[in-house]
Amino acid sequence: MTEPAIAATGTKAAPKLVLENIVKDFTGRRHKTVRAIDGIDIEVGDGEIVCLVGASGCGKTTLLNIVAGLEQPTSGGVTIDGEAIVGPGPDRGMVFQSYSLYPWRTVSENVAFGLECIGMSRKDRAERVQELLGIIGLGRFADNHPKELSGGMRQRVAIARALAPEPDILLLDEPFGALDAQTRRAMQEFLLLVWQRTRATILFVTHDIEEAILLATRIYVLSSHPGRVVEEITVPFGTNRGPSVLRDPRFLDLRDEIQELLTTQVER
Amino acid sequence: MTDTSLDPVPGSGPRTPPGTGAGTAHLGDDPAAPWRRSAKPGTRGRKQGALLRLRDEIPFRTRVVLACTGIAGLVVVWLLAAAWSSGAVVVPTPLATWNAFTDYWRSGELSTDLSASAVRVAEGYTISMVVGIVLGVAIGSFRSIEAFWESPIGFLRYIPATALTPLFLLWLGIDESPKIALIIAGTVFYNILMIADVTRAVPRELITASYTLGAGRLRVLCRVILPHSWPGIIDVARINLAAAWLMLVVAELLAAQDGLGYRMIQSQRFLQYGRMFAILLIFAVIGMFSDLALRGLRTLVAPWARP
Repeated sequence: MTEPAIAATGTKAAPKLVLENIVKDFTGRRHKTVRAIDGIDIEVGDGEIVCLVGASGCGKTTLLNIVAGLEQPTSGGVTIDGEAIVGPGPDRGMVFQSYSLYPWRTVSENVAFGLECIGMSRKDRAERVQELLGIIGLGRFADNHPKELSGGMRQRVAIARALAPEPDILLLDEPFGALDAQTRRAMQEFLLLVWQRTRATILFVTHDIEEAILLATRIYVLSSHPGRVVEEITVPFGTNRGPSVLRDPRFLDLRDEIQELLTTQVER
Repeated sequence: MTDTSLDPVPGSGPRTPPGTGAGTAHLGDDPAAPWRRSAKPGTRGRKQGALLRLRDEIPFRTRVVLACTGIAGLVVVWLLAAAWSSGAVVVPTPLATWNAFTDYWRSGELSTDLSASAVRVAEGYTISMVVGIVLGVAIGSFRSIEAFWESPIGFLRYIPATALTPLFLLWLGIDESPKIALIIAGTVFYNILMIADVTRAVPRELITASYTLGAGRLRVLCRVILPHSWPGIIDVARINLAAAWLMLVVAELLAAQDGLGYRMIQSQRFLQYGRMFAILLIFAVIGMFSDLALRGLRTLVAPWARP
């Protein structure tokens, strides 16, 4: 494996996750090869929230799946702390748009799943679950089933479940895409809160530009067909940001800039 | 569609009154257009009756009344048939059937027959379900196992299981084993294929989410795929249980010393119409209760999957 190139981008922290020249081909109709991702380089530093923004078809979800180890790139390498990823593992927690909670398990049993996998004792599990339910504010719902929760609550459980085994990095695949506007806003603030409390490293995929700016420390704007990085943007807001960011003039400028980048992509 | 009735130039003239603008009238202009008309003047839209709404609920009371009417209709048909009963086509009255039933019961034959039949179904169907669950879950979970089993099962399941009866009797004699074998042969392929479908219905993301939480394949199989599939598997058991009873009766009609199917043939020999009807009703009642029991089991095992 190649050495992580810290000097190239000048990020302050040593990169935790490095994606180097990722290429992904799919076999389409009539065995034609379709290039979904064409040479993407991405670095995520320790404790950063990095957002991938792009229209549908830019391969953002595929990219996330590659980091999760659920898909293999056609070429290129993914490393976390210098170690190559060969398959999925609890060091990379993932949250999906469709919650994908276990409907037969209660909230606390859902959160405990990853802890069972790593063989934690029942007592330690109960403690950790209790702590996480406190963080997501669903202590009262510990014994409810997912069916009895609202969409936002379910997604909070999914985030707690992914955080439970203390992953090195949290992967979020359009996690708030299925929520209504108000809940989505609340969930974004919730995620910021979780990030500030747990100092988790987060890689986040969205097509919502405002969401990206609100949450991310850095944003990669991706092009579609094939997916390439067209711009890497450092978001100028600190770690203690809140919803007031939404009224910051720099927020609006950034939004317009990214909008512009994506629009040219679509027209191309 | 653009609304062509809109004036392109503001204030360029009043709208054409309905029916007068020769050739220029558009869909939206005519308040008396047929598609606007309701059945009742002064109203709009299609009113729907309460009883025949597509996929819509009806009041609980109406449901109860309709269900009772259905049962009553069945009884009426039976009574009419019994009234027209003649020497050529004998249909016993409900009363005669009831008397035959009590006779059958008091003689002690009912309990021997019932337990003989029930034990056969229980044994055969349990084996069939176990094979169905093991193979079905494996086929639904692994493409390689699916590729191996799909073609032989797809081929064998087109052999009518009833056609195997003579062969099974030759191979296995006339005691319990051919009957159990027939029940298995008649249900196992459906169990396997339907349980495989149930397993395939486990959302992919539930499986990938489990991998990212650190679960291995065995854990995903036992802790994710199986729990998600239990309610569906019980539904499959419910549906195919009818086929098990079908195979049992075929086996008992041909070669048995006891059992409900055997008693059916005996009653035919002695022209005991009442008893034959009683046995038919016993089958129906057994089916109904086992269905209810399995529904109860489904709620017990998977309360989260209640529709």
